[in-house]
Amino acid sequence: MIGLLLRRLVVVGPVLLAASVLVFALPRLAGVDPARAVLRARSAEAVPDPVTEARLRSSLGLDAPVTEQYLRWLGGVLRGDLGHGYVARTPVAGQIADAAAVSGLLAVLALALAAVVGIPAGVYAARRPGGLLDRFLGLGTVAGVAVPEFVLAPWLVLVFAVWAGALPALGWGDPAHLVLPVLTLAAYPGALAAQLVRAETAGVLTRPHVLVARAKGLGAHRVLWRHGARLATTSVTALAGMFVAGLLGGSVVVEVVFGIPGLGRLLHRAVVAQDLPVVQAGTLLVVAVAVVAGVLVEVLATALDPVLRSAGSR
Amino acid sequence: MIARKMAALLAAAALVLTGCGAGTGGAGTPDPAGELTVALQFPPRADYAFDADDGARLQSLGVAETLTTVDADARPAPMLATGWEQQGNAWRVTLRQDVRFHDGTPLTPDAVVTALRYVAGVEAPPRAIRGIGFAVAPDGADAVRITTTEPDPVMPLRLSSGNLGILAPAAYAGGGAPRYLRTGTGPFVLDSVSGADSAQLVRNDDYWGEPAGAARVTVRYVEDPQARALAVRSGDVQFAEGLPQAQLDQVRSAGAEVVEYPNARTVLLQLNQSAAPFSDLRVRQAVTAAIDRPVLAEQVLAGGAAPAADLFGAAVPWGETAPPPGADVARARQLLAEAGYTEQNPLTVRLWTFPNRPELPALANAIQAMLGAAGVKVDITVGNYEAQEPKVLAGDYDMFLNSRSYLSDFPDAASTLTSDYTCDGSYAVDQYCSPAYDALVDRLNSTEDPAARQQLFREAAAMLTRDAVGVMVVHPRNTAVLRGATGFVPDPLQIRPVLPQLSPTTG
Repeated sequence: MIGLLLRRLVVVGPVLLAASVLVFALPRLAGVDPARAVLRARSAEAVPDPVTEARLRSSLGLDAPVTEQYLRWLGGVLRGDLGHGYVARTPVAGQIADAAAVSGLLAVLALALAAVVGIPAGVYAARRPGGLLDRFLGLGTVAGVAVPEFVLAPWLVLVFAVWAGALPALGWGDPAHLVLPVLTLAAYPGALAAQLVRAETAGVLTRPHVLVARAKGLGAHRVLWRHGARLATTSVTALAGMFVAGLLGGSVVVEVVFGIPGLGRLLHRAVVAQDLPVVQAGTLLVVAVAVVAGVLVEVLATALDPVLRSAGSR
Repeated sequence: MIARKMAALLAAAALVLTGCGAGTGGAGTPDPAGELTVALQFPPRADYAFDADDGARLQSLGVAETLTTVDADARPAPMLATGWEQQGNAWRVTLRQDVRFHDGTPLTPDAVVTALRYVAGVEAPPRAIRGIGFAVAPDGADAVRITTTEPDPVMPLRLSSGNLGILAPAAYAGGGAPRYLRTGTGPFVLDSVSGADSAQLVRNDDYWGEPAGAARVTVRYVEDPQARALAVRSGDVQFAEGLPQAQLDQVRSAGAEVVEYPNARTVLLQLNQSAAPFSDLRVRQAVTAAIDRPVLAEQVLAGGAAPAADLFGAAVPWGETAPPPGADVARARQLLAEAGYTEQNPLTVRLWTFPNRPELPALANAIQAMLGAAGVKVDITVGNYEAQEPKVLAGDYDMFLNSRSYLSDFPDAASTLTSDYTCDGSYAVDQYCSPAYDALVDRLNSTEDPAARQQLFREAAAMLTRDAVGVMVVHPRNTAVLRGATGFVPDPLQIRPVLPQLSPTTG
């Protein structure tokens, strides 16, 4: 297991280095002059002013060769210095840290809710395929998977904030502000987890060793959780890994609709304003989380699944 | 797939449902001891920096104040300064007495000099003072002396720009960007900010003028218009700005008061006059005749804009408020035929625009249809403004649907008339060059009287219309919504503060 972890971690470095090249190069390939874009971001009606633009280009280090700019940026990243944003002119590290903390909290809560609701729902639906609970869950999960965030979020606000008056429509800083965004973010992974667990558990419950266990008098509840659900957790773990990076990257839709100062909204604003240091740092963080989460999920799945474990040890 | 279609239908249904809360709009009894939460459209993007649009945000919040403001006729009016006098290429500006900053220090000539020297010395000074040799020095115990390279007729108006807010000397003590917390002079003290997400304002009980209408205001920056509308309907906020037309009936039915007022902005169809076909006046006139601006304003934008007869609209005293004529397709076809474009030799042009302002692509499609009816084939490209701008400035385009403010940070049109339409203009997208026009605009450099300047603005706009320099399409409208608040006074010039007038209401 440790060997597998080390083998995977060795690959992380080169992958992140390649990602850093892409993250740095792609915005510059758009053919936009960042100095001009930054001036427009600071002042929407700014008219071209070559003298001011040249001065800004020099002060931002944009007049140096691209390779030199990249190496300077990468050196800063390795030292933990992400520089200052072009537009807000505040330290990027602070902007990213504040926003990632918000999106991270939302991600953890959304994934926890998805797991707490989705896994048991899937397990119990698998007990009687075609039963009332199974059919009800099937309907619910199809809706959860199909309804996009930009539809679900306003509906939740209409129902819980406008009609019921029970929750705030937008804002951040109060526990009540978490409810609707977390519900919105949890809907898709929760529905997907329920579908996955239901399918896998239903399949496991028809296997010979499970039928033997039942014949020996093992209770239905224990069979369900010990044999059925346990195997399904491997798939759910892989699913969680897939969602972690996406959720940490923040859902732009959810964060904009609910007015949440997370990473998704920060990156969206930075892209619009061509605030390259923020775009680069934020994107690299999301890529790093995705890569590391992928490694951890693989190791965790191996630990949970005896078949994979024995394959990994060979 | 079916489920997604169903979801889209449900979403559409949700948007036509109306709220059932009982609100009191702008009615009710003002409660100056109460608190407000407001949803504003544009978040600070540059950490409230004075050399960015954010400077005007501090002014709008009622936190930072400028030496002058403007009256309803767009003339300079006293603010932190009570008087001003031109002396050649200098202005002596007399300061208001007994004004204190939020940190308790007094407003002095030295404090004003510190503030204005800071903003004049940044790497990209604001347009209000850029390129005029702006310098400032104390002048006795109660005044400052502002000098420029050439005599400047509009310095009192320049000084009303939100970019020239005056903060306490302590704000500038640490170097770098000024510290804006508790350093202004306005009716509200900026108590705390949470990035570009929110800000907390508390009433300044030592304010020199009319006290603010609320004891405390929570400002939320909400970019999504639907989220702002829902927040009004749910009662989360008592005031919101910038709601789209589609949402107005819903917030009205929730008991909100809706205020619509002009915006000093023009959506214009710019035509490249440096090459055929738009180097021909008849083709430009044909395009103008083919476009039905009242229909675009009332139907395509659902009344969210006024049809434009002129570069300037109802937001400014010199603007044209009479509506333009509707389309005259027969005349458009006739003009095109005179210019050599017939059914056998149809005119095909490219129309570029960008999606940053959502009304632009919709207008582009409608314009395409209107020009099509006159026999002009239009190929639309909706792209990235930043990538388009160098090409349009170089004259490498046919038509460009653009949106421009016609005031440049203070209520005077000379900057726009110069940068956008003179032969050497830095934003001369239309590639228009007329010695007569340049001579007219040049007279603004020596015209101090506001009435005379405004007459020159009218004449310049009329000349642009006569020469068919692009098509002035619509002037967008601003909207503000109150539910549980009162006292909003619209300011189309966007110079006077918005929030201090607002009071929460009871009952």
